[in-house]
Amino acid sequence: MLREANLARTFVELADTLVADFDVVELLTLLTDRCVELLELDAAGIMLVSPEGGLRAMASSSEAMRILELFELQSEEGPCLDCFRTGQPVMNQHLDELNGRWPRFTAEALRAGFRSVHALPMRLRGTVIGALNLFSVEARAMRQVDVDVAQALADVATIGILQHRAAAESQVLNDQLNRALNSRVMIEQAKGMVAEREALDMQQAFSRLRTHARNHNLRLVDLAQDVIAGVVSASALDLPRGTPS
Amino acid sequence: MKEPRDRRLRILELLAGDATLNTETKKLCQVCADVTGMTGAGIMLMSGDTPRGSVCTTNDVSSLIEELQYELGEGPCVDAHEQGTPVLEPDLAEPLVPRWLAFRAPALAAGARAVFGFPMLVGAVRLGALNLYCDRPGPLTDDQYADALVAAGVAARAILALQAHAPADGLAAELEAGADFRYVVHQASGMVAAQLGVTVGQALVRLRAYAFGNGRSLASVAREVVGRVLRFDEQSGEKDPSP
Repeated sequence: MLREANLARTFVELADTLVADFDVVELLTLLTDRCVELLELDAAGIMLVSPEGGLRAMASSSEAMRILELFELQSEEGPCLDCFRTGQPVMNQHLDELNGRWPRFTAEALRAGFRSVHALPMRLRGTVIGALNLFSVEARAMRQVDVDVAQALADVATIGILQHRAAAESQVLNDQLNRALNSRVMIEQAKGMVAEREALDMQQAFSRLRTHARNHNLRLVDLAQDVIAGVVSASALDLPRGTPS
Repeated sequence: MKEPRDRRLRILELLAGDATLNTETKKLCQVCADVTGMTGAGIMLMSGDTPRGSVCTTNDVSSLIEELQYELGEGPCVDAHEQGTPVLEPDLAEPLVPRWLAFRAPALAAGARAVFGFPMLVGAVRLGALNLYCDRPGPLTDDQYADALVAAGVAARAILALQAHAPADGLAAELEAGADFRYVVHQASGMVAAQLGVTVGQALVRLRAYAFGNGRSLASVAREVVGRVLRFDEQSGEKDPSP
């Protein structure tokens, strides 16, 4: 399919998730998945600011621990933190040529096989709420058209997160971010439970939860809560399509 | 507005010192009152996972506010705990919505004019609520609100550390390390809950207890659980992970 058609479909898909009381983790995970597909990148993640202490990883195109930790590390240093602090994109950082700008981040990113990294702000008017992080295994610059697409996707998600409030209501924003971060923790707890009960890795456990939530039109976070509470058993979760049963 | 990162650092700095764990919890309550500019503060445990009861209060009024809520089963902290969201009453004398019919009069008579409850949550684990009150009416400012959210988060982690019998300096170290922000810790708590057939809240405490007992970081223990190097249901006898 043409990229334009894919892109249009993605915007519709994102808009479709923006119902009242939508699931922030689901929205952001969808966004990271589509960034990887549409922009031919190798990994994408989103960090949001917490009322508690800087940036926290909220969504990732991969649940592999090595990738998740690359995002988590950036609460300390890295392109996301710089992008968040300045509100400006941090583009086309070739990891081989960074000369100690982010020593821990660079070492870990290279070890995970990446060669270039980018970060775009999640910003609406004056408020920066986080950053979109993009990784490639090739040391190449992003084309401007791709940067524009990524920024547009990030903007849609930002508007979604900020839409339920008047822009100046910092209490509501803080509350919403806090709730989103807690729902991410809940999903991790549920992933652990499903992984243990069904002998799956974290990626597989997450797909089970996500597939089941979609099939049954549930919010991911609500399903996570039900799994943790034992209302839904791990073995009852739908298998992702194409999984041999 | 302050930088978000500063809020947590400020609380940690105020908590720092060579205090024992017991005095640290008392200090924690005072710090929660101080950072939010409130007259008093308390920490109420209300989870099914853990014993109900007050962890600490800063003064008699805070204590009374908690006792009333335990006895009457209503009030800002009860609601915050049940709803999982902050509950604000800027003026008990002229409340926006009529509620807490039994709680209101004695709380007012004791000198509480504005009361606020902030839930202490770690994912699906609901521990209770941070209880804040002011002797004057008025809403929280944005800064006070953000500080209260952060204080409730710090209090939640402090309680988990306490329940895991953290060593005297363990609480500060635990809060400093910020291990609670790591995905892997929460994945591991889900796995341990399934291994032991306990709640995720109890699993969180077991993980911490194992880390403290073995002088290891929570994140490294969690990584071994997720990496399937360490199981909690195979531990027994002298290797029992809960000391």
